[in-house]
Amino acid sequence: MTDVSMTVNGEERTASVPPETTLLTVLRENFFLTGSKLGCDVGDCGACTVLVDGIPVNACLMLAGQAEGRDIVTIEGLANQDGMHPLQQAFENLASLQCGFCGPGVIISAKALLEENPDPSVDDIRDALSGNLCRCTGYTKMIEAVQDAARIMRGESADEAA
Amino acid sequence: MDEKVKVADRGKTLEDLKQTDADLRLPSVVEPAHFPIETLAPEARQQTPAVGQRATRPDGRLHGLGQTKYIDDITFPNMLHAKIKRAGIAAALIKSIDTSEAEKMPGVMAVLTGNEIPVNSFGPSYQDQPVLAYERVFHAGDGVAAVAALTEQIAVEALDKIKVEYEPIEAVFDPMLAMQEDAPKVHPPHDNVYATKAIKKGDVEKGFAEADKIFEGRFSTQMIEHVPLEPHASIAEWDGNGRVTLWSSLGRITLGRADISRTLNMPINKIRIVGTVVGGNFGGKNEITTEPVLALLSKKTGRPVKMIYSREEEFIASTTRHPFIMDYKTGVMNDGRIVARKVRLVLDGGAYCSWSETTLGKACILSAGPYNIDNLHVEAFCTYTNKTMAGAMRGFGAPQVCFAYESHMDDIAHDLGIDPLEIRMLNAFEEGSLSPTGQVLQSVVVKESLQTAAERFGWKEFSK
Repeated sequence: MTDVSMTVNGEERTASVPPETTLLTVLRENFFLTGSKLGCDVGDCGACTVLVDGIPVNACLMLAGQAEGRDIVTIEGLANQDGMHPLQQAFENLASLQCGFCGPGVIISAKALLEENPDPSVDDIRDALSGNLCRCTGYTKMIEAVQDAARIMRGESADEAA
Repeated sequence: MDEKVKVADRGKTLEDLKQTDADLRLPSVVEPAHFPIETLAPEARQQTPAVGQRATRPDGRLHGLGQTKYIDDITFPNMLHAKIKRAGIAAALIKSIDTSEAEKMPGVMAVLTGNEIPVNSFGPSYQDQPVLAYERVFHAGDGVAAVAALTEQIAVEALDKIKVEYEPIEAVFDPMLAMQEDAPKVHPPHDNVYATKAIKKGDVEKGFAEADKIFEGRFSTQMIEHVPLEPHASIAEWDGNGRVTLWSSLGRITLGRADISRTLNMPINKIRIVGTVVGGNFGGKNEITTEPVLALLSKKTGRPVKMIYSREEEFIASTTRHPFIMDYKTGVMNDGRIVARKVRLVLDGGAYCSWSETTLGKACILSAGPYNIDNLHVEAFCTYTNKTMAGAMRGFGAPQVCFAYESHMDDIAHDLGIDPLEIRMLNAFEEGSLSPTGQVLQSVVVKESLQTAAERFGWKEFSK
C-alpha cells in the first residue's frame, strides 16, 4: 500500500492505496467523488477528465502516486455556496447534456480553456473539447454553452447566441 | 408567444408556469431548510404551452454538477465485484471447465458456470442465447464463467486461473457462406437462416421488360458497436427472503424482468429492477446481459454484487448493428422514372437472434426508398454467423438500406446524365402515395423538404 496525499477541491485528502491505483479510482472509491466517470479506461473518451494543477488530465491514465502533492479539481469542486459555475448553468440552460455521462469531463475541459482564454473562438472550443467524446452527439449545444459561459464570465449578457 | 397568454383558463400565465418549473428543480446547493417545505406541483391535466418554447432537461442540472448517479456511482456495504471470462474462440465444444484454482484464491467469494443457471437461455424473439455458454461456444465474446471477488482486480486475476478445455469446431463468419446448404451450422440442428421476409408489389419481371435501362449494384455495410459512454452495468442483491433487487442500466426493465424471471426460474414478483439514469443506450441496452449471473452470485455469497463491462466487453459481448449485404436491381425509363426494383438483403445476425426480426422487417419495408415504384420485389434473409450478435441500434436497419438505395440512385442519375436532385423529385412519394406494403401515406413532404434543403445549402451552386 502507498500513502498518497493531494489537495482535492481545496481540501487536503489522503488515502492508502495499492501502488497501481489510478487517480480516478482514488477520487471515486476513496474520496467518493463519483462525478468523474470511467468510460473507456484507456484515455480515449475523456469522461474522467479532472484538473491537475489547472491542466485537464485523463484521471484513468494517471496513477494516484503521480498526483502526490498536486492540486486536483473535479466537477464537484465547481459549484459553491453562491451557486453553480457559469459553465454548469449554461450547460443546463441550453440542454447541452443528454445522457450526461460525458458532461463532467466536458465541463472540466471547458473550464481549463476559459481560464487560459476568456474569449475563445469556436475552433478554440472544438480544440479544447477534442479529448471528450459524446455519443449522444451534442457537441453543437456544448459549444454554444461554453460561448455563453464565457460571455457571462467576461461580464457580458449570455443571450447573444441563444 | 404572448407571455401573458392564459393557459387552459385556469388563470395561469406562461410566467407562472415557468416559475412552477423553476421551483420544481433541485437547487445546486441546498439551502438551509426552513420547515415546513412547501412543494409546488403543477395541477393535474394542466395544459402547458410546449410548442415553440425553449426547453431544458429536468435532469440537466444534476448531470452538469456531476451528481447524477449511474450504476458505477452506487455502492453498497460489503459489495463484491464480478467479472466474466470470455471464450476467446468463435466456435467450440466445451470439454471441461475447471474453476478450482480460482475458487482457492484469497478474496474470491464465488464462481459461477452455465450449468448452475436454472434456464440458461434468453432472447427477445428466440431464446437462443445462453447466459453463460456451457457445452458449446457460439462466438468469441461468449461468457464461460463468472467470478465474484472482494475487488475487481482479484476477480480479473481469478479469471486467468479458470481453465476451460475447448474442442474447436468449424466456424462460419461470412453471411453469404452461412446461407449455403453445406455451411457449418451455428445452432445445430437449426438452419443458419433464421428469419426471412418478402414484399411483392406489381409484377417486377414485367417492369424490367418495359424499362429502357436496368441498373444493378451491390452495397454492404459493416458491423457497428453502439459505444455508449457508460458501459453495461448492474448490481444484484439477493435478500434473505429470496427476493432479488437489480440496479441495472437496462433500457427495457419490464421486458428484462420477464427474461430474468425465466432464466432464474422464479416468479416475477420476486424480482425487482431499478432502472437508473442510463449513460447512453442507442438500442444496445435493450436486453439483459449479466443480470441473472449477478443475481446468482449474490445468492451464493449473500452479498451485493456489481459488474461493469470493460470497454472491450462492450465491443465483443454486447449487441451491434447488423452488417448488411444489399443487392439492388432497378429498371428505369430514359427520363429517370423508376418502373421496377428488386432488392435482396442479407443480414449478418451474428451468433444470436436478438432483435434481428424487428430489424429485418423494418429494413424490408424501407428498402425501396421514399419513391413511387409500381413493380417491387424485396426478399430478405437473416443468418447466424459465429460473430458478436447484432441487435437493435438506432433505426433498426433503416440506415443500412438508406445508404444502399440513395447510393444506387446517384449511380443511376450519373449514368443517365440527370441531376441527382431531379431524379429524386421525379420519383419521390407524394401525398397519398402507396408504401411498398400498401399503406396510404399522409403528411408527405419529401419533395418540399428536398427543395428547401437544396436551396438552403446551395445545391445548384455546388453542382455547377
